[in-house]
Amino acid sequence: MRIQFLLAWRYLWGRKQRMVLTTLAVVFGVTLLFGLNSMIPGMMESFRHSMVTTSGKVDISISSDSNNPFEQSVLSDLSEIDGISQYTGILTKNVVLPESLGGSINKLTGASSVTVTGVDFATAQNVRNYSLRDGRFLEAGDTYVTVIPQLLADKMELKTGDTFTIPSSEGVADLKVVGVLSLSASAGLDEIFVPLATAQSILNLPEKINTIDALIKSGSDRDEVVASILAKLGPNFKSGAIQTGDELASALMMGESMMWLFGIMALAMAGFIIFNTFRTVVAERRRDLGMLRAIGASKQTIMGLIMVESLIQGIIGTALGLLCGYLFSLALLAGVGSIFASMLRVTIGAPVITTANLIGSIILGVGFTVGSGYFPARSAMKVTPLEAMRPTLGTMEYRQNNKRAIWGLVLLALALFGLLFGEIKIAGLSGVVFLVGIILIAPVMVKPVADIFGKLISSIYPREGKLAQGNLTRQPSRAAITASSMMIGLAICIALMAMITSIEHGFVRYLDKSLGTDYLLMPPSLVLGGGNLGANQGLIEKIKATDGIEEATSLRLASSQIDGTALQLIGLDPLVYPKIAGLEFSEGISEKAFEAMTMGPAIIVNGVFAITSNVKTGDVLTLQSPQGEQEYTVVGIAFDYLNAKIATGYISQTNLANDFNSESDVLLLVNRTPDATAEEVTPALQAVIKEFPTFSLIDSSEFKTEQMGMFKMAMSVFYIMVVMLAVPGLIAMANTMSINVIERTREIGMLRAVGATQTQVKRMVFAESVLLSALGTTMGIMVGLFLSYLLVKAISVIGFSTEFYFPTMGIIASMVVGLVFGIIAAMVPARQAANTVIVEALQYE
Amino acid sequence: MATIEVKNLSKVYGSGETKVTALDSVNLIIEQGQFVAVMGPSGCGKSTLLHLIGGLDRPTGGSVFIEGSDISKMSDNTLTELRRRKMGFVFQFFNLIPVLDAIENTALPLILDGIKPDIARTKASEWLSRNKLDGRGNHRPDELSGGQQQRVAISRAMVSDPVIILADEPTGNLDSRSSDEIAVALRKIVTDWKRTVLMVTHDPRIAAYADRIIFLKDGKVVDDTLLNGSNGENAKRLKEKVESL
Repeated sequence: MRIQFLLAWRYLWGRKQRMVLTTLAVVFGVTLLFGLNSMIPGMMESFRHSMVTTSGKVDISISSDSNNPFEQSVLSDLSEIDGISQYTGILTKNVVLPESLGGSINKLTGASSVTVTGVDFATAQNVRNYSLRDGRFLEAGDTYVTVIPQLLADKMELKTGDTFTIPSSEGVADLKVVGVLSLSASAGLDEIFVPLATAQSILNLPEKINTIDALIKSGSDRDEVVASILAKLGPNFKSGAIQTGDELASALMMGESMMWLFGIMALAMAGFIIFNTFRTVVAERRRDLGMLRAIGASKQTIMGLIMVESLIQGIIGTALGLLCGYLFSLALLAGVGSIFASMLRVTIGAPVITTANLIGSIILGVGFTVGSGYFPARSAMKVTPLEAMRPTLGTMEYRQNNKRAIWGLVLLALALFGLLFGEIKIAGLSGVVFLVGIILIAPVMVKPVADIFGKLISSIYPREGKLAQGNLTRQPSRAAITASSMMIGLAICIALMAMITSIEHGFVRYLDKSLGTDYLLMPPSLVLGGGNLGANQGLIEKIKATDGIEEATSLRLASSQIDGTALQLIGLDPLVYPKIAGLEFSEGISEKAFEAMTMGPAIIVNGVFAITSNVKTGDVLTLQSPQGEQEYTVVGIAFDYLNAKIATGYISQTNLANDFNSESDVLLLVNRTPDATAEEVTPALQAVIKEFPTFSLIDSSEFKTEQMGMFKMAMSVFYIMVVMLAVPGLIAMANTMSINVIERTREIGMLRAVGATQTQVKRMVFAESVLLSALGTTMGIMVGLFLSYLLVKAISVIGFSTEFYFPTMGIIASMVVGLVFGIIAAMVPARQAANTVIVEALQYE
Repeated sequence: MATIEVKNLSKVYGSGETKVTALDSVNLIIEQGQFVAVMGPSGCGKSTLLHLIGGLDRPTGGSVFIEGSDISKMSDNTLTELRRRKMGFVFQFFNLIPVLDAIENTALPLILDGIKPDIARTKASEWLSRNKLDGRGNHRPDELSGGQQQRVAISRAMVSDPVIILADEPTGNLDSRSSDEIAVALRKIVTDWKRTVLMVTHDPRIAAYADRIIFLKDGKVVDDTLLNGSNGENAKRLKEKVESL
């Protein structure tokens, strides 16, 4: 093995430029894979810190299966269970602190939200340890008082005796700080403790709790105790802390799989580059390999040599990629951090390295590199000792590619046929088939593309253009593989741009429809479930009573589960909501669906949920609720703007109150009377919401402009990724061009010897590179168009119906990128070729 | 037992109209310690004969015996091992690995055979020294002259202590002074180390260093001559012979 390592390392070191270019391709792939995936857990962890309530150090924590509040009276059932030593009921919820109440998005210097925990002063201290630093704990007779952790006290500059004002369903609640805890039971969370009844009033959940904390008797088996608690309480309860933000987490999980896809595509491109490089390496070293075979190296030794070379590059590339990936995710998080902070009031933390991501990136990084070296290594193994005796000649590919091209055409036809089915899975498969088809016909496309674009170049540089054309067509496979890696990048670029254009058009439409009222009364966080505290009926009644208001309606929120899948529930008024707003229906009829909701338990689900749970109109869903299982009939598939990406169901507010105990309004939609002006109405509404500081009054047109701005900002992050995916194509081109120049050193020397000037040699290399990029761009546009159609169709299928917009901009951008890449890729090789020393080049072996 | 024995050896390339007979039922016996030169016009089958004896190619018919073992029936792995341990090769274009220095190039066959690197390096240095390359061990091929590169190749051929050295036009790429140095080095291998050398050459002056000359024409042995005169006389005789054939 030692000889393989020695030779591999020396060969790599001997061709530094090539080693850097090929390794860079791996670095790039791993950077994307590892970096993007380090970012997602970072975001998820931040959400968890912001939203998830932890249960501290208790033995058992029980909550409702659907994470909804339940009757406080169930506590009495626990007294009969053996094995429990202490228990207490808790009502806890994350409440966003608006800036007007001292909220700050910077978690280090302030608090963006607090977790309000209502505890029963009599039993709470038996279950959890509240270590006081100052003041006292809650006691009998307390109402609007609170005990806060030291960290929060420092951040908010509060001390015992001060008043801490937080949002409440009645407007605001002024809480007197009676104690400061030295250490919060749930470190990292700004949790404040208030009497249970006070919490129920603040959160508008009378007689409700959402967690039971319990300690077990020593010697009891925890699992057995949990089982008997659950048996006693019934099927709607679970063991474990309640988890808000489940819906968001599942949306982020979807994002995570997208990131893997991006990374793997980048690595596939790296694979192309490595494959091309090693193929050339084997051709270039035929005589060395033949000699090694002649003096006694076995076939396995030869194969090992190439494999070790790819392994070394894989290891170096992956190691550097991990490092760059971490830095990349740091930079990206800093970029998206500001968007999240302003939109969702969540501070994004540092990248998180998970074992799965680390190991996955290493395996894929090294695996792709070694895998790409495998086939060239196998062909190296077949080099006979006699190769050592033969003189080397400029290589010329004579292999017939026609057979492969026919296969390619068959696959293209199959892919187009697959589109006719209108099935998303078949369409997805068609995309892959189309891609493979194009890769197979690529070698036969080299000549026609070179002929067409060659004429163009020849009209500018008649002598060099012709030579460049000939050079490109002499190795069609190599040109095709290089062009393929460029094609993937450009195709994704075109497809994503088409998708973004289509989504943008769709978004404007939905925005108009679902949030098209004159005013919006928005909660602090746009993710409705993200810690927003709703208002009681008082707010909407006051709004309706305001002069110049024609109609107002609200959205309410609860969460549920269906067979273990989290479902966000939005409660709407089926009589008023469709009049002033509306949902975008992809299945079912709007009027009929809302009418059905007035008559009984009917639900409209959104596309994300319909797809993931395979639900269609007419199905009956069994929803977990604090009241037990509830059956709802699906009357339509539709969505609103804010909840398009989260599994959501829409039910009537009456049903939401009865089955899910939720009666707080989290978002209000308000319309003026036709004769009222904004100047008259706006100040009146502002006066009303002063009492409800969690809500902001927003003019819809301003909101729309702001949302479009946000959308474009979020998309800009997307564009960065698109550009990053195009870069491996550039590396592939630069790599191939430098290989071509090195391989033709003797020829270039001969050209110089017979009278070619340095400029002519340079032009020849540039022209070849531009021709190569023309091939890649042509292929990229073909695949890009196909993929963009597929992507837009795929989005439509998940209930987000958009029309297909021809990606003119994407195609123009690709052509520009192609031309620029062609020129950049040739810069160094062209200079090398022009600076060739004639005598040395003629002796070059 | 002869070191090399060739029985009815044939090699045919292509088939039908494009069929070319490179070797046609050649029979030969070469004893240990003989320096044999193979001569003949271009395309007569000299290199093919060398390749078949070296196990670099497979015959179409007949057999090659190395120290009594028929190599034409050996598996690739056995043949590879035989080449590594019993044969040394010297090529016209030197064929040194450009990224390794002279010592590493020389030590290659030993390292491929699993010999400890420090032992392999010591042996390689000794052979470089015998071939007058002291102080050149750490130079890469591109830092050596053609003659020096070929002496590294001879050192590499001898380092594993082989029975046979096969040299294919070893002076074909060298000037006359370097060519003489190489011929002397090969002669020493026979005289001092009692190894068998089989060399293909066009040059009667170089062939004159050998003990025996085999002439090939159209794939057949047409003459087999033992040399016993001085170098000058031998060269003159060979030149006449080449012209007469």
